[in-house]
Amino acid sequence: MTTSTLTKTDRTDRQPPAWTKMLDLSDRALAVLLLAPAAILLSLIIVYPVMRLIYTSFFSLSLTSGLPAEFVGIENYQLMIEDPVFWETTWNTVLITLITVPGALFVGLGLALLANIPFRRQWPVRLSLLIPWALPLSFAGLIFAWFFHSEYGVVNDVLSRFGIEGVIWFNSPNLAFAAICLTIVWKTSSFMALIILAGLQTIPRSLYEAADVDGAGRIRQFFEITLPLLKPAIVVALIFRTITALQTFDIPYMMTGGGPGTSTATLAMYIHQNTVSFLDLGYGSALAVVMFALSMCVTAVYLRIIRTKE
Amino acid sequence: MTKTFLAGALLSASIFGLAAPAFADTELKVYISSQHQPQVWRKVMDQYEAANPGTKVTIETGGNTSEAQAQYLNTIMSAKDSSLDVLILDVIRPAQFAAAGWTSPFEGKDMSVYLPAYAEANTVDGKVVALPAFADSMFLYYRKDLLEKYGVEPPKTWDELKAAVKKINGGENNQDLQGLSFQGKAIEGAVCTFLLPYWSQGKNLTDNGKLTFDKQAAVNSLKLWKSFVDEGVSKKNIAEVATDDTRKEFQAGNVVFAVNWSYAWAQSQSKDSAVAGKVGVARLPAMTGGEQATCLGGWEWGVSAYSKNQDGAKKLVEYLSSKDASKFMAVNGSLLPTHSELYKDADVLKAAPWFADAKQVVETAKPRPVTPRYNEVSETIRTTVNAVLAGVTTPEDGAAQIEARLKRILR
Repeated sequence: MTTSTLTKTDRTDRQPPAWTKMLDLSDRALAVLLLAPAAILLSLIIVYPVMRLIYTSFFSLSLTSGLPAEFVGIENYQLMIEDPVFWETTWNTVLITLITVPGALFVGLGLALLANIPFRRQWPVRLSLLIPWALPLSFAGLIFAWFFHSEYGVVNDVLSRFGIEGVIWFNSPNLAFAAICLTIVWKTSSFMALIILAGLQTIPRSLYEAADVDGAGRIRQFFEITLPLLKPAIVVALIFRTITALQTFDIPYMMTGGGPGTSTATLAMYIHQNTVSFLDLGYGSALAVVMFALSMCVTAVYLRIIRTKE
Repeated sequence: MTKTFLAGALLSASIFGLAAPAFADTELKVYISSQHQPQVWRKVMDQYEAANPGTKVTIETGGNTSEAQAQYLNTIMSAKDSSLDVLILDVIRPAQFAAAGWTSPFEGKDMSVYLPAYAEANTVDGKVVALPAFADSMFLYYRKDLLEKYGVEPPKTWDELKAAVKKINGGENNQDLQGLSFQGKAIEGAVCTFLLPYWSQGKNLTDNGKLTFDKQAAVNSLKLWKSFVDEGVSKKNIAEVATDDTRKEFQAGNVVFAVNWSYAWAQSQSKDSAVAGKVGVARLPAMTGGEQATCLGGWEWGVSAYSKNQDGAKKLVEYLSSKDASKFMAVNGSLLPTHSELYKDADVLKAAPWFADAKQVVETAKPRPVTPRYNEVSETIRTTVNAVLAGVTTPEDGAAQIEARLKRILR
């Protein structure tokens, strides 16, 4: 308040143009004005589509029927509960998340610790960390589909060199699932490693030196210094990784297309199939709402964890 | 729609004082999937441009499988995008496109010039929704040299085929030589895989859009394909095999019999083919006691309902499905003609002698179910075939699943 009275007395001498009066806003109004562009942009590209999605999920809207959209209430959600493929794909998605998120965390942590060792040349290590992360998901899926191919794949070739008979990876739901999870861990652990590596480099060396003086061993140092100080970085990495894991699409789509049968299809693939292939926008929207809710729940849980830690 | 457009155009012309010749410049964009030899179609477009001064035709390519192509067009068309004027469509899609209102009908078009199967496939509820681009169906490719060596006639039934393979494999004693290659991957081709023995038992999947599913025939069909895998006639990873894999394996000389479309012929006769001159093409075998049946393929030309140049696009499609264009594509692209008399044409037969026998096969080929919800029908059948061949589902359970899901789709 005092500042604004000061500026007012200053201005009276110079006779400012009339329009500046209109801009003489209170702090609150200024804050609203400055935030407005971002808020409008976010509403347009995030809030509006999400609302529209929820709205559509209450309609029977299929482009193959030739009929106009009809309000059906929660019928799409009832169909979903009775739909075995919905439960199968949701379970597959949850399973992929439960396996690949911790998997990528452990591998990523190992890679980050390895990359943090003071090598004479840092760049080959950093580069090899970056490559899987920079590779588009669908390319990774295609490459690994060839790796695991029963006849031409390198995996079976290596196995046979050790005297183990190769298997037809994509003929068995369990093996196909394992192949997909391995690929996802390979693809995503470098992202984990990059974030953790950044966290590692913020830990002061002096802490380790002090621990050395106090006679703490390497393992003790890791659990007492490294891990606690890495926690914020790990939580951030976990949030991003879990949400992308719930949305897993590209890698199973390229590797198995959901096969054999529908045993490796994910919820995102089922949404894509219902909307893009079957053109059943109502049902597809209802499925997408469920995935949105799942992602929101996970985010809420993680945010809670961060807040309590602070 | 066209009338209001013309009226609007005339109005704006008079307002802005545009000269009439400005309308002669027509630009048309044609969508062709990359698997369908766009470079050969380009020559047909060049001929059209030469005959119609002021018209410019550009080709957009994309989607090298029927599914990928459908997904792309579904996205474009549901957004009411007007950038494409003419679309190439798989024979199974006109019904879906018509129901969604994505193609413009050809009013008063005489379809009797085409093979009856294509007149039918392109007519939905009495309206002509697309015109045929080329014909196709599935054939049995076989190694003429190996069959002659062992004195085996091309098999008329699947059981004869099994016996022939056992005889040839016994003599050749070659681990890499596969008896029969067919499509077991969960792709569009696997729908035909299922239907071939099903139809051969005299059963139909639908009648006038109503489901007429025969469960026993379905079980028999799935059992037959599974028996090829179990008895070592086909390789164990057949659930990974897509259409072009079959073509490659056969072309490399690793297969005695193969189920494939007509396109495989041209490449099997090319210079880098291990089997050039050793290939025979026959009708597909029947179930013992059944009739020989094959799957109708082929692609169609549709005019996008969102095209801003309806008349120009329709005129181009009329040309693309004309006898001249069909002959050009038969000679230069080895695509089966949609005009009956071209199967006797000297130039066509010089390029592909076996076309002489192909007409009868195409004429007796059966269409896959015609329904706007075909994508769901296809998905149901192909994932089940794939699961049965991978050994995840039994033929009995598979048939039950197909029946249950089709009942919901084709109510």
